[in-house]
Amino acid sequence: MLITASIVNNHSERRARLLLYVKVGMSIRRRYGQFLQANPAVFRGRPACLFTILMVGGLLLGDARRSVAAQEIPIPAQETPILAAGTVIAAQETVGSAQGDQVPAVIAPDSGRACEGCPPRRVGTSLLQTTGINVIYEIANLVRGQVTAHITPKTWWENMQQGMVWDLDDFAVNQIGHPYQGNNYFNAGRANGLSFYESAAVTAFGSATWEFFGETNHASLNDFINTTLGGITLGEMFHRTGWLIRNTQATGKRRLWSEIGAMAVDPITGANRFASGDASRVTDKPSEFVPSSLSGVAAAGMLWRGTQASAFTAAPDPFLEVDAYYGDTNVGRSRTPYDAFFMRLRFGGGSSFSEARVRGRLYGQPLGKGGLEFLVLQTYNYQNNDAYATGSQAIDAGLGATRALSRRTNFWILGWGGLTVLGAVDSLPLGVTEKPEEGEPSAGQGVSEGPRFYDYGPGSDFGTLARLTRDGREFLLFNYIGRQIYSLDGVRANHFLQHTRVDVLLPLRGALGLGASAEYFHRRSYYQDAASTIRTYHYPQLRAYLTWGNR
Amino acid sequence: MKAFHIFVAIVWFIPALFAQDAQPGPPPLGQSTQPAPPSRLWIVAGGASGTLRGHCQDCGQDFPFRHGGALVGNAGYRVNSRMDVGADVFWMQWKNESGRIRATAVNGVAQFRPWESKGFFVKGGAGMAFVRNWVQTMGPNPDDQKALSVMFGGGWEFKPTGPLGLQLFAMQHVGALGDLQTVAGPIGDVSANFWSLGAAIVIR
Repeated sequence: MLITASIVNNHSERRARLLLYVKVGMSIRRRYGQFLQANPAVFRGRPACLFTILMVGGLLLGDARRSVAAQEIPIPAQETPILAAGTVIAAQETVGSAQGDQVPAVIAPDSGRACEGCPPRRVGTSLLQTTGINVIYEIANLVRGQVTAHITPKTWWENMQQGMVWDLDDFAVNQIGHPYQGNNYFNAGRANGLSFYESAAVTAFGSATWEFFGETNHASLNDFINTTLGGITLGEMFHRTGWLIRNTQATGKRRLWSEIGAMAVDPITGANRFASGDASRVTDKPSEFVPSSLSGVAAAGMLWRGTQASAFTAAPDPFLEVDAYYGDTNVGRSRTPYDAFFMRLRFGGGSSFSEARVRGRLYGQPLGKGGLEFLVLQTYNYQNNDAYATGSQAIDAGLGATRALSRRTNFWILGWGGLTVLGAVDSLPLGVTEKPEEGEPSAGQGVSEGPRFYDYGPGSDFGTLARLTRDGREFLLFNYIGRQIYSLDGVRANHFLQHTRVDVLLPLRGALGLGASAEYFHRRSYYQDAASTIRTYHYPQLRAYLTWGNR
Repeated sequence: MKAFHIFVAIVWFIPALFAQDAQPGPPPLGQSTQPAPPSRLWIVAGGASGTLRGHCQDCGQDFPFRHGGALVGNAGYRVNSRMDVGADVFWMQWKNESGRIRATAVNGVAQFRPWESKGFFVKGGAGMAFVRNWVQTMGPNPDDQKALSVMFGGGWEFKPTGPLGLQLFAMQHVGALGDLQTVAGPIGDVSANFWSLGAAIVIR
């Protein structure tokens, strides 16, 4: 009886869903037609219009499906599913207390939620939303006047026939722009209840479809790697940061602002929560997103950087830097990716956005009883200032340990080494001493037509991070990173980069502190020319800053 | 053209329909026996028809498609019912008018089946490719080169939950060589795309 009722319900739901699809599609097409009549010069051909309709339709249907699915959640008591012979699972479970106008948490057994605060699992919706994100980026590029945004089925076919190539875009576009775009794909997966690794696959799907179908220029190998790996790293970091901000027990304005704040960090999850009503449900936070420890510091100050020619510049650059330690990578058996990660973002100091580093733990296993921890780490690096530019995506193996030196002083150290899947470093051809000024691009805003003054290639990396803390506050920090990049695209060379930094911090009053740091960036490039030329570059840096927070 | 649009629209809706269909149903009443824990092994072996197209950044010439047979293999670990990780090996040989080239790509790979009860899977990974080329008759000693390799693809697996299955797949491997050595000198910024359609046996 139950099964028959379920089948009948399924048929009527599908009919209703199909009708909804048709209505939404007709509505989109009508409005789009009106838009095209008013703006005839926007697109170059009818096929582009029809296909854009389909793509926008795909985006909206994702929401349409969800609204239908949302109607399915309340389950009448008599339709309580039987999961095993003689075992009846309660259809509804009220968790938390309903406060004010908030909706109490109700979990239906077939809602697909892994926990009361988790989003329901919707694989199809995550793929549709990923496509929708591509549509939004495509429309944004059209509005910006990029010639590469005039996609047609012909350009799709040409891109598929050509396969992947290296592209000529600017360093920032490729090394931070694409990873950010990938973070949106990743969170389309996370927001729809997919696991970390499933969301990684969604990121690759979004990246590949964008490369082949989102632009007229050929699919780019470097974009595919940067969008996918960078998107995973930034995506999980933003997703977890969003859950830190979100207060799922709060109600009223406090709740609203916490959801808006989280949405600013992770827009895709935020939009999904508002659309599904989860943004107003009072629940516990998913335990997966509650870190074992959390510390961070914001630093603001001045930076002096030296060059090849002079020790230090006369005029310092102001900067704002944020460091965060989410969980402790050196502690515990971990099978949950990114339950511990380190993040650094720096604004100013040589460019508007000059540094981003994320190092997330994918796997952690204590070794013996000596306090050693074996780790598998994923890292994302981006540095772009007026002296040098580097970026990389890497997978490393590491060892970490924490030792108590006294009752108040702790020593924390992490060392790692591994493979750089794709690294980038600024590079000028031999004989060229200064990067030429780029003219106004003819292909529209944000589209570079080359030449490109940085090299791409795989390689290896290794490094260490050591911290001394007193009463839980960091007072000495040492960081060393070495990276080798074998250039496959660009100037033929083997680049060896080393980066050392020491920070000394003094507590002032409360959370306020004073800090100074010395940094040294060293680079040696072994060119594969007839003369086997070797070039060395070095850039020292000094910083003085005020800190706020628990470092 | 209209038929093509309809086709695309249908393809667009397939994930949504699958998502609906993929809701696991209740097991038959009275069934209480627990199945044996599945093996953690994941092995795939098969063959494919491959198509290759080379590309170089600054050549300004069109490269023809070349075809050949290819061998494909995966070996690894079944993480859970939806995910396998391991190594992917892809081997292909082809000839052009001036020589013979063999390429072997070895990638770390992850494979996902988004819907547990369905055979649809996607896979992707990265690693190294080894290229052995005799282009422009470099002589009896070919030039060996290493390349960055990236692969992605998808397909359908029949009997996805059983110990023995069959999969049909479509994959793209990309090999970025840097320079390709020829008798006339190196050709810069060379990359190659391999598309393959094939079938393989899956052992779990």
